[in-house]
Amino acid sequence: MSTLSAPVHVRGLTRRYGTRTALEGLDLDLWPGVTGLLGRNGAGKTTLLRCLATDLEPSAGRIRLLGRDPERAAERARIRARLGYLPQNPEFYPYFTAFGLLDYMAVLKELGGRRARHDEVRRGLERVGLTDRRHSRIRRLSGGMRQRLGLAAALLGDPEVLLLDEPTIGLDPEQRIRFRGLVSELGVRSTVVLSTHQIEDVAALCQRVVCLDEGRVVFDGTPGELVDRARGHVWDHDGHPGRGHTAWRLADGRYRVLTPTSAPAGPGLEPVEPTLEEAYLLLTGAR
Amino acid sequence: MSWHLTPAQAHEYAHHRSDDVTAMSVEAHITRCAPCRDLLPDDEAWLARSWADLRDVVDRPRRGPVEFLLSRLGVGEGTAKLLAATPGLYRAWLLATVVVLAAALLAAHHLPRGSLMFAFTAPVVPLVGVALAYGRGVDPAHALTSVTPLSGQRLLFLRTSAVLVPALTLCTAAALLLPSARTPWSAVFWLLPALTLVAGSLVLSRWLPLGAASTVVGTLWLTALGALTASGGTEPLQLLAPQAQAWWAGALIALVCAIAWRVRTA
Repeated sequence: MSTLSAPVHVRGLTRRYGTRTALEGLDLDLWPGVTGLLGRNGAGKTTLLRCLATDLEPSAGRIRLLGRDPERAAERARIRARLGYLPQNPEFYPYFTAFGLLDYMAVLKELGGRRARHDEVRRGLERVGLTDRRHSRIRRLSGGMRQRLGLAAALLGDPEVLLLDEPTIGLDPEQRIRFRGLVSELGVRSTVVLSTHQIEDVAALCQRVVCLDEGRVVFDGTPGELVDRARGHVWDHDGHPGRGHTAWRLADGRYRVLTPTSAPAGPGLEPVEPTLEEAYLLLTGAR
Repeated sequence: MSWHLTPAQAHEYAHHRSDDVTAMSVEAHITRCAPCRDLLPDDEAWLARSWADLRDVVDRPRRGPVEFLLSRLGVGEGTAKLLAATPGLYRAWLLATVVVLAAALLAAHHLPRGSLMFAFTAPVVPLVGVALAYGRGVDPAHALTSVTPLSGQRLLFLRTSAVLVPALTLCTAAALLLPSARTPWSAVFWLLPALTLVAGSLVLSRWLPLGAASTVVGTLWLTALGALTASGGTEPLQLLAPQAQAWWAGALIALVCAIAWRVRTA
């Protein structure tokens, strides 16, 4: 299948803020499914999502979304009609109600007449568990509820491309499980990009992981492939291995040790199966 | 009627042919008589539709006064919602506008050459409102709304209209109360400069954020006034004199053409 037909097709994407380069020559093709976007703070995740959301123009390179060119205004509007975006720390009009805000967003998304719009708003509220707070003013909602409201806004109209920037911040464990159910269901037919620091969410949801560092892709593969790269680099040890190693004390009193180079097993070092989080730490820590 | 429905009565009722009294009796009876309810035809789709209609009426968010007024004036329901939902800063601007215009009126009535304050501020009032109506930094939900199909120029122009109407109304009302206002035409000397400054900021917003574009245009206006005042040779009010209005009209037409061209070629 041609990569040009990918719902998200990116070639040579570069974005600069003044003299600082946030993204440099990124190539990426994303297909339906859930892709996790990992990276340290400042790695370029939010900039990439904003470029894909048509909120930010690239300094160089080319983006095609759903086969269209977002640089053309007419095509950009068509893309936006089929795109959902949850920004990092979304803000709202505090005097709106939850229902009113989603209705306002539905008008902006041109989701039909009043009745169709209201039905879609109710469905959105139901999906994120806010039906009973639909008439509450947003200023009276907790942080987690506002986050869910932002998610409901992103989901309006069942977008074909869904971009989520730190969507699980402020959600309690029960809400996170609900969120995972929702996103995994959407990932069956939509292209979902999930930027997060919550590696458990990536492990639970994503068929593919893209890691960014200093605006470049440093890993692109399945979670299993990322874990494979870490095999032979993760150990348990009876005592602290000393400075220069990434290590932490486990609940049983032993130490988990990450070694960037594939060191042979030494006295007291016992190889263990790496987790996705440890694989990610090795990937970013090794650079 | 007997205490149970006959098939004929059920048929009449189901086809809306019962008189009002009979229909009310039937309705009172079938709420507590399951066998008679079963005589009436089931229409699940109709029930679902009716329930959804009812729920929509009960559940619908209450319209604010501005949205209600706009709807009564014939503005489309969606457009009224967009026009009414302006950021919080817009309200602060509206309050500030009233205060500034009241101060300008007081100055005009009680200070020598006090009308200058109104003449210099009235063209800037709509410009400030437009700057606060759209864009990152002034609209809290901009990150959410900026990636929707209606955002960009369409929302920008809608918000501009939402600002211009009250701004021009307030400025006109204030201008009519000026001591120098003898006729309505002599009271709107500030209108063309005000519209030209707004149009200038909209044209510049193609390259700059709207707030920055409005700042540039506002600074140019104040600089021109300052330069004329400092030169001493020319009265700053010459900028608003009848012969200057032709220049403002020409500039406004050119800028509106530039906006129209931008919309067409976008």
